Amino acid sequence: MSQKILILSQSHLESTTDHVCLWMDYLQIPFLRVNGEDFFQFENLGDLPDNTAIAAVWYRRKINSYPVEYSLKQPDFHTQYTLKRFLIDEFNGIHSFLFHTIDRHKWLNDPITEDRLNKLHVLALARQHGIPTPFTEVVTTSVAIAALLENYRELIVKPLSECIFLEDADGDQYKMLTKTINSANLRMVPEKFFPSLVQEKIVKKFEIRTFYLDGECYSMAIFSQNNRKTKEDFRNYDTQRPNRTVPYKLPVELEKKLDGLMKSLGFRTGSIDLMVDMEGQYHFLEINPEGQFGMVSYPCNYYLEKKLARLLHKSISHEEEIHQQPQRKERTAAVAVFPGES
Amino acid sequence: MSLLCDLQLRRYYHIPNDTADVYLFLQQHAIEECVAHYGEDNRETIEGYIDFVISRELGFKDHQLLPELTPLDLSWDRYADVTNVIIEYNDAIDYTASFFRELFDLHVQALEIRYYHAVSLDNIRAFVERFNGTTLKYIKLVLPYDKSQDLQLLDKLVKQYPRIKSLLIHSSPELRQDKIFDGSVPVVFFDRPVNSCTACGEIRANYFVSNLELFTESQHYNTCLNRKLSINLNGYIKNCPSMQEDFGHITTASLRQVLDNPSFQRYGSIRKDDIAVCRDCEFRHVCTDCRAYVEDPEDIHSKPLKCGYDPYTNEWEEWTQHPMKQTAIAWYGLKETNN
Ligand code: SF4
Repeated sequence: MSQKILILSQSHLESTTDHVCLWMDYLQIPFLRVNGEDFFQFENLGDLPDNTAIAAVWYRRKINSYPVEYSLKQPDFHTQYTLKRFLIDEFNGIHSFLFHTIDRHKWLNDPITEDRLNKLHVLALARQHGIPTPFTEVVTTSVAIAALLENYRELIVKPLSECIFLEDADGDQYKMLTKTINSANLRMVPEKFFPSLVQEKIVKKFEIRTFYLDGECYSMAIFSQNNRKTKEDFRNYDTQRPNRTVPYKLPVELEKKLDGLMKSLGFRTGSIDLMVDMEGQYHFLEINPEGQFGMVSYPCNYYLEKKLARLLHKSISHEEEIHQQPQRKERTAAVAVFPGES
Repeated sequence: MSLLCDLQLRRYYHIPNDTADVYLFLQQHAIEECVAHYGEDNRETIEGYIDFVISRELGFKDHQLLPELTPLDLSWDRYADVTNVIIEYNDAIDYTASFFRELFDLHVQALEIRYYHAVSLDNIRAFVERFNGTTLKYIKLVLPYDKSQDLQLLDKLVKQYPRIKSLLIHSSPELRQDKIFDGSVPVVFFDRPVNSCTACGEIRANYFVSNLELFTESQHYNTCLNRKLSINLNGYIKNCPSMQEDFGHITTASLRQVLDNPSFQRYGSIRKDDIAVCRDCEFRHVCTDCRAYVEDPEDIHSKPLKCGYDPYTNEWEEWTQHPMKQTAIAWYGLKETNN
């Protein structure tokens, strides 16, 4: 019986998954793509992907949107939101069942760690691996901020979780971005506030986005400094003058440390954000285990989608080696289809 | 002359070789070292070159060399054995043959459909409909001008079939350009007829494209024919509609056999670096190629016939007037059809 690669993704707005699937198809690697939307077609638990048929899992996304809409009979803003949260929890209840039914070692990234990744923990772990990180605190008072501003010229405040989008009654959208606090605007900060993450502001020469893939670091430098609009956070795209994005090679020492960090988290892929300050020092910011890598792959011509397809293919051979010793011959033949590349 | 290509912003700058030498020197050296090397007299010139690079956002000044900024990897690959297809549409041809289906199962990325004669929008719809459910991303339509097919109707068409991402309207009363689908789909009105493929293969400066796809493919393969396939007006399979040789008819041919045929693949590996004259031309990796019409029809490695550029003198000439090209022009019988 030949095993397949399971790809967990969503049906729409997922060009990275589409791209990887096209490569898998071209390289004749058997795979099964299950989108979150497909769960609505399943009749019972028996329709979930089966452990024995799966050699490896690439968990990319849960779902884009539920194919059905629900509302309460007397909707108002709050209950509608509560209902939405409830449905997300319900969906996760079935989706993350797969984390348990499919052997943990088959997942490219440990799914449970990935789902519960904690920013503060990752920063602490990075420091343990000797990777420099910006000074980070969680504070609740303006007095604490004032005290920090004695040591750091400027601080930034950003969410401990993820940035959110808000929409007002007219449908206008608002995006949460990183904010700077300094002695000039300190008076705007309330005396007491919700526990918030503050970080020393690094004056950056440029940013680095690294895609980590099975021990290798594929890095890209992002120059946004010239664009005032994008100074704080390069996700705030300036379409008129796009950021310059070019290939970059991190020092080997740093790559080794990042490799150690990723391994300690049980991740074989993920996107890593770093910053380079004016003196050329590196600062580790965060890991996005399911980060977009198309935006690194394309401008740097790295062919990461193809490399990921090959990595998944290796898992099939590996599984066959463990479970199907007699079929050795066939396996060697399958690998020899792409000579000259490992 | 040399060419400085900005593959990200899709621009290029035609620069003297001396300027290019300075930039190459600066890759490994500090500005002061560069001034010392070329002499203090050239300081202002060198600083001018540097300011140019900064003003175009091609570089920045730093207090040290940054070897971590590694050169771009120039390899090229695609997930399809055929990436581009041209179809010269003909109502009398059956496009349901297995060859046709298998072709689009290969994950073809772009398709150009050429209509030389008047065609109804319903007819176009019926044909484009076939590509629903394939991974085809891009359709370009080449249509004859028809007054009744106004921009509003074309807009409706592309909204219904978002794979259509560009239109060329030939035989139009005037030369102009428009945009539909909220400015995302260009419509070019061309004031001359496109009624056969002999008009193809022309090399002009405004056809040059500076982007990563072309630049990298051009390092390894032929930029006009690599992984391309055409189906001509009579349903015959060709490398390109302008080529003489065919590889069978779509109703009977086997796709695998065509793709495995060394003759079909013969042109794909002819790089600009293998072509006479082009190999010395600074435009070679922003220029496409043409193997259907070449200066010496006996030599497959000769320069495209319809290029009037001379990289040794940096001058453009009208190719149709060039005395050296007259034999080839006559050979292809291009005289009558030239506009
Ligand atoms: S000489 Fe060759 S590369 Fe240069 S412009 Fe002409 S066709 Fe293009």
